[in-house]
Formats: sequence, C-alpha cells, structure tokens
Amino acid sequence: MNPELIQAAADNPWMAIAPEIALAGLALLLLVAEIFLPKSKHGLVPSISVAGQLGILVGLLVNWNGASVGQPLFNGLLMPGAHTQFLRAFFVASSLLVSVLGVVALAKQKMPKVEFFVIVQVVSAAMMLLSQANHFVLMFVALETVTVGFYILVSYVRTNPLTLEAGLKYLITGALSSGLLLFGIVLLYGVAGNPTLPGSSADSMNFDALYGFLQANPGNFLASLGIVLVLSGVAFKIGAVPFQIWIPDVYQGAPTPVTAFLAVSSKAAGFAILLTLVNVFSPYAGLVATVIAIMAAATILFGNLAALTQHNVKRLLGLSGVSHAGYLLIGVLASLTVPVAASAIYFYLFAYLLASFAVFGVMTHVAGENDADQELDHYTDLAKTNPFLGGILAIGLGSLAGIPPLAGFMGKLLVFMTVFAAAGAPVGPLTAGCYYGLLGVAIVGVVISIYYYFGWIKAAYFDTWRAPLLEGETDPTPARTPVACWMRLTLGLLALASVVLGLYQGPVAGWLLLR
Amino acid sequence: MTVGLNEYLYLSAVLFAIGFLGVLVRKNTLIIYMCLELMLVASTVALVAFSRFNGTMDGNVFVFFILTVAAAEVAVGLAIIVALFRRRQTIEVGELNALKN
Repeated sequence: MNPELIQAAADNPWMAIAPEIALAGLALLLLVAEIFLPKSKHGLVPSISVAGQLGILVGLLVNWNGASVGQPLFNGLLMPGAHTQFLRAFFVASSLLVSVLGVVALAKQKMPKVEFFVIVQVVSAAMMLLSQANHFVLMFVALETVTVGFYILVSYVRTNPLTLEAGLKYLITGALSSGLLLFGIVLLYGVAGNPTLPGSSADSMNFDALYGFLQANPGNFLASLGIVLVLSGVAFKIGAVPFQIWIPDVYQGAPTPVTAFLAVSSKAAGFAILLTLVNVFSPYAGLVATVIAIMAAATILFGNLAALTQHNVKRLLGLSGVSHAGYLLIGVLASLTVPVAASAIYFYLFAYLLASFAVFGVMTHVAGENDADQELDHYTDLAKTNPFLGGILAIGLGSLAGIPPLAGFMGKLLVFMTVFAAAGAPVGPLTAGCYYGLLGVAIVGVVISIYYYFGWIKAAYFDTWRAPLLEGETDPTPARTPVACWMRLTLGLLALASVVLGLYQGPVAGWLLLR
Repeated sequence: MTVGLNEYLYLSAVLFAIGFLGVLVRKNTLIIYMCLELMLVASTVALVAFSRFNGTMDGNVFVFFILTVAAAEVAVGLAIIVALFRRRQTIEVGELNALKN
C-alpha cells in the first residue's frame, strides 16, 4: 500500500468517532461470538449485545464533553455540532432499548436471532455518523446504510407474508426517496461547482462550501430544484406528508421492536440531518420555509385525522407518529430564525423516546405470534389482569398525547414556545399570521390526538362487552407474555423518567437550551 | 453539433423521469425495481457530466459510492422479492394488499 495513504489514514482523528467504532465493533464481535460459541450458549449473544451497549452508553455519559465541537474532521466529512454528544447517547439508548424489546419479541419466532442485534447496532452507528455529517458523500452513504439495514429489519420475520409485504413496500418507497435525494445532491453539486458562477467551490459537496455558494447566488433555479429534492428525500425518512404513504403498512407489518426503531431512531436521525440541512440552505430561507410550513400543516392534519379511524394499534402509532413529525416540523421552521428551537426539538425527541419505548414495550408483551395482528380489542382487561402493564401504557400514551405532568407535554410546550418566538421575525413570504396559523393547527391536532390515545387507554381500563365464546371457537386475543423482572425494571424506569422529566426538566432542558 | 453539458443533463432528466413515472405506473415489482435503478443511473450520468464540466474529481468518486450502495440495495431487495414470491406466489403490487386496517 502507498505509504502516503497509510500516513494520511493515521493522521485522521479516529478517536473522535470512537463511540461509533465501538458500536460497530460490538456488532462484529457478536458475529464472531456466534461462530465460536457452542450452539447451547447462543442465548448469551443478546446479553453480550445489551451489556456492550450499556457500556458504550455509560462511556458516552462519562465523556459527556468529549466531542470536538465545531472542528471539521476527516477533511471536512464530519463536523460534530453542539448536540452531537446528546444525539450519540440518544441513538445508543434507542438501540439498547430496541435490543431489549428484541429479546422479548424474537422469543416468539423461530428465526435466527443474532443478526437482528448486529444490524440494529450497525444502523445505529450509521445514524450517529449521519447526525454529524458535513458532506453529501458521507451523508448519502450513512443514510443508505441506515435504509438498507432497515429493509432487512422490516422484513426480518421472513416466514410471515405480512412482514415481507411491509418489507417490499418499505423497499420501493425507500429506494424512490433515495433516488430523489440523490438527484437533488447531484444538482447541488453540479451547480455549486460551476466555475463560471460566483462563490463556486472545487469541494462543492461540502456543506460549508455549499452554504457559501448559496449565499453568493440567490434565486438560482437548479439550486432551488436541488434543495426541494433533497428536502423531499429527508421528508420521507421523517414521514412528512406527502411522503407518509409507506408509514401505516410498514409500521403494521414490521416486527414490533423494528417498528419502535423506525418510530424513534429513524425519525430522530431524519430530524438531525434536516436541522443541519436547513442551516446549510438558510440563504434560500424563503423557499425552505414555504416548503416546510406547507408540509407541517398537512402532516399534522393528515396524521391526526387518519389515526382517528385505526383499530390496529401499530397503524395508530404510525399515523400518530406522522403527526408528531408535523409538530417537530414547525419547530424546524422556527429554527431558521430562533436557533434554540433545535434544542426544543431534541428535548421533544427525548420525551418521545421515553414514551414510545414504554408503549412499544407493553405492545411486545400483549402481541402474539403474528406481529401484524395487534388490535385495540386485544387490550381488553389489560389493567385488571396486569395492572403493571396497564399503568405503563397509560403513562406512555399520556406522554405521547401531551397530558400536563408528563414529559411529552413539556416537549410540545417548548417547541410551541419557540414557534411563538419565531413569529416575531417571519421568514420570506411567510407572515407572523402563518406562524400563529400553524400553532393553531398544531393545537387542534393535539386535541384530536387526545381522542384516539384515550380510546386506547379506555380499551385497556374499561370493560367492554364481548360475546361469550361458543363451543369450538377459540379466543382471538393472543396470550400475553409474562413480564420478566428485568423488563419490569426497564419499563418502570422509562415511565418514571417520563414523569420526572415532566415535573423537573432541570438538567436535560438546561443543558440542551444552553447550546 | 457538439455534445455539451446541457445535452447530458437533458438525457439524465429524461432517464430520471422515465424511472420515476415507471415506479408510479408499473404494477410488476421487478419492473418497478428496474425503474428505481434507472433513477440512480440517471443521477450518475448527470454526476459524471458535471464532474467533467466543473473539472473536479469528486463526482467521479461519488459514482463509485452510488454503485456500491445500489449493489447492496439490489442484493437485499431481490432477496425480499424472492422470499415474498415464495410465500404469496405473486409479485404484482395490486395483489399485495394484505396489510390494512
């Protein structure tokens, strides 16, 4: 090998991405463990995975100020931002919780189990890189690692035709959005590298160079087209209207832990990269603000109205997740003028992580062998037969709905407050009235969402009449899985954190908002 | 007539549009998959043309990344399609509608 290349590789600050390397290395270790451990010891692999991820999470928390904020790494491919360490911890925590849910859910399937943990960790490592991307090549490769990993995860239970159908739908819509995103990147690269235009750069896929070019050339047609295409590609990841068509089917068909992974990590990664891109595209703020405002209003209304009529709880959570993306989008709009809005969005996502995993944790215990078949009716008597799961469900759903003493309420409040502040300095063609209108739409959306979230709580807490079973009929409700004590601990901690973070935001909000 | 940047961009836009419309209109999963690949290839045509016109190598290098990603996507995608065909005996999107409320 060329000695100069070796020298260049050695000069790169590998330690700066140690958490990502550790997570991906742990994934490789699991594969090796599967080969060398005797078949009877394969049950150890999930434990190694969970323990390893806990170790990485603790390492991140101990090294909280370890990220080299604001310094371009690897020739400008990566640029850790003010929230990088928070996002890393977020993705590792989410990957850890997905693995924990995976242990419970995969026990019901006759499937190879090791690959699940491996892919979850590789995807999470790619998300951590994605959130620090400062260059289109790295962004595209990291995003595709995430997407291709999700193709496999969504269709993981390959004996179930519903899961495979969900996998195919995710594959087609995912590849379509990658195509749009890629064409947008190509247009931006081409136009920003054009040597005849002012502000052009030889390294035009770098975000800083692109920002400089956009500032020097307001109103360039190809650049505007590229921006719209890139934003649509990212809008697919977060499930914003009109790129939400895949959400209900894929959420329903995917194994429950993967649905949780899609709902929390994939959405958070989408918002992390969207916030970076909105900053880069800020010279075209008028265009970006218009696109985002229209998408946000449509997303909130569509998500909430479509969720009203759902009986399958996974579809319901998917569509309500669409509306959550809508609330966050108005936060992204606010971040164009009020930088602290980014912190509010991350706080919201953290509250969303706590509440979502509590609810998905309950779902994995209520679901039977067929993961796609999870109806509201299956929750009848849950609170009576299993008060612990009933309580966790109520806290999780209450937090998602934004009921005051819970964390979800504080998240919504912070985001809405930053939008209110941003209305003081409207961007481009938007007026202050547009911001107030969006807030009005969001508040109507929250009110609608309380109806369907409480319909679910009602199903779990109040008796509904059911026809007695005739002879020869089998109970359509799947048998509930007993809750193991470590799962009690996890779910209890998630619910407790949702309550505590609602009453006392001190450290988390303080740290985030100071950024 | 000399072939300049614009001709390549028109070609790329037309290929992209054919791929995009194909994904929306066609009903056979394999043809849809071919259309998706066509979209990626359309982007690489524009990328190489831009790279040549701008005099930077970044575009050419990016093409390798795109090809690698596309290969990974095809490997996973065809596996899913084959597994689905085994279970359902069809790959027509109109008949794949088991997931609903």
